[in-house]
Amino acid sequence: MSALLRAELLKQRTTRTNLGLISIMLGLILFAGLLHSFALTKGVLATRDGQMHVFGWGGLGALFASLAGAISITAEFRYGTIRTTFLVTPRRGQVITAKASASAITGVAFGLAAEAFVIMVGNLGLRARGIPVHVHAGDYAQLLAGGAVAAALWAPIGVGVGALLRNQVATLVGLFAWVLFVEGLLFGLLANASRFLPGLAGAAMAGVTTTGDIRPLLAPALGGLLLAAYAAVVVTAGSIWITHRDIT
Amino acid sequence: MNETTPDDIKPALAGSREPAVSVRSLTKRYGEIVAVDAVSFSLEPGTITGFLGPNGAGKTTTLRLLLGLAEPTDGEALVFGRRYRELEHPIRHVGAMLESGDFHPARSGRDHLRALAIAAELPQSRVQEVLDQVELGPAADRRVRTYSLGMRQRLGLAGALLGDPRLLILDEPANGLDPAGMRWLRGFLRRFSEHDGTVLVSSHVLAEVAQTVDQIAIIDRGRLIQTGSLHELTTSSRTLEDVYLELTGREQS
Repeated sequence: MSALLRAELLKQRTTRTNLGLISIMLGLILFAGLLHSFALTKGVLATRDGQMHVFGWGGLGALFASLAGAISITAEFRYGTIRTTFLVTPRRGQVITAKASASAITGVAFGLAAEAFVIMVGNLGLRARGIPVHVHAGDYAQLLAGGAVAAALWAPIGVGVGALLRNQVATLVGLFAWVLFVEGLLFGLLANASRFLPGLAGAAMAGVTTTGDIRPLLAPALGGLLLAAYAAVVVTAGSIWITHRDIT
Repeated sequence: MNETTPDDIKPALAGSREPAVSVRSLTKRYGEIVAVDAVSFSLEPGTITGFLGPNGAGKTTTLRLLLGLAEPTDGEALVFGRRYRELEHPIRHVGAMLESGDFHPARSGRDHLRALAIAAELPQSRVQEVLDQVELGPAADRRVRTYSLGMRQRLGLAGALLGDPRLLILDEPANGLDPAGMRWLRGFLRRFSEHDGTVLVSSHVLAEVAQTVDQIAIIDRGRLIQTGSLHELTTSSRTLEDVYLELTGREQS
């Protein structure tokens, strides 16, 4: 198992995919963070919860960690390396588990990078407008820790979805659409049940509660457990599915 | 000899020793399409077998079934008496090269092999050894997207050799090789079989096959239509190409 994990980490290090994803992620956070720092009214940005409209964008770390996890499997289908991978390790479930673990490790890096960067961008933006920052050390610690864990758990979800769909474009579009669009719709429709959705369970860990939220998120620990359960289900489903598929 | 054999009769191409490859009544259906139809043969250690047939005849499907990438609908395909997926560290027994494009274009050849060696728990020194063996040379540290087709073939072969296997399964290895590469591959396969290695090689390049293999198996529309030693099947006035085109009925194309 540890040999497979090391092999998967080496695969991730030896292409520039993750570097590219992190660059795009930081670019989006810069854009969204500054946009919200400057476009929201000073009234909205006067409280800690209001300022989470800016600092909450660190949650993109979880989305991009899931994309990195998804690419670690769908790129193998795209380029055909999955054949060689399964020739070396015919117990395909072990490959998926190793990919999930490797992606969780890189996911921590995505989460930390996203949260650290949004803290910097938020501070710069708010201070530039002369707004005192009401997000403090304890909040930062929770953003960093919760963001890192959320990204570490979202990465295996990407691996599992990738194993289920195999097609790279479908997987990446699916993950993007779920996180940025579908959960938003369900949030409006499902009322209190929406806090059990994976995206909002992750947000709960980072302590992102914004003004206008009438419904409380889960407690951070509960959010983490729930997200871990989602990850376990999706990775297991992906493993079982891929084990019984013909590889063409 | 040239029919698929029932279980109680010695399968085509079998020798007296325990076979490296043994395929029995192997069948693969995709819905209505029968890609591989009750194919049986077995390969004795130390032989080089050319696996021939028109495009879409079932060659690649047979190789994938043998390598555990696909599951047979019926029958079985065994390597060293076991299903590939049940082998412990399979690439130490079986080296395979399927398609020349199976690499991440942004990864170097060396890193590709390093990841395989780690996953197979082989010493990293094997990476340089196989790179030397296939004479990939300084290209090993370049990204695969800069490789020619011939270089990709050499890298694929390096991957197949990594575990120092006793059986090589090669799908169209001669594609894209230059004449020097062809001669090198021929010599390599010859030495490999002299050391009791077994080779199953699919190819369209019949002139090359005729110079390399001991025996052939021809498949057409999923059925094995001819097996036997090259000497038995060909004469100076009847080349492998003549035999092949007669049997597959595609001479008027």
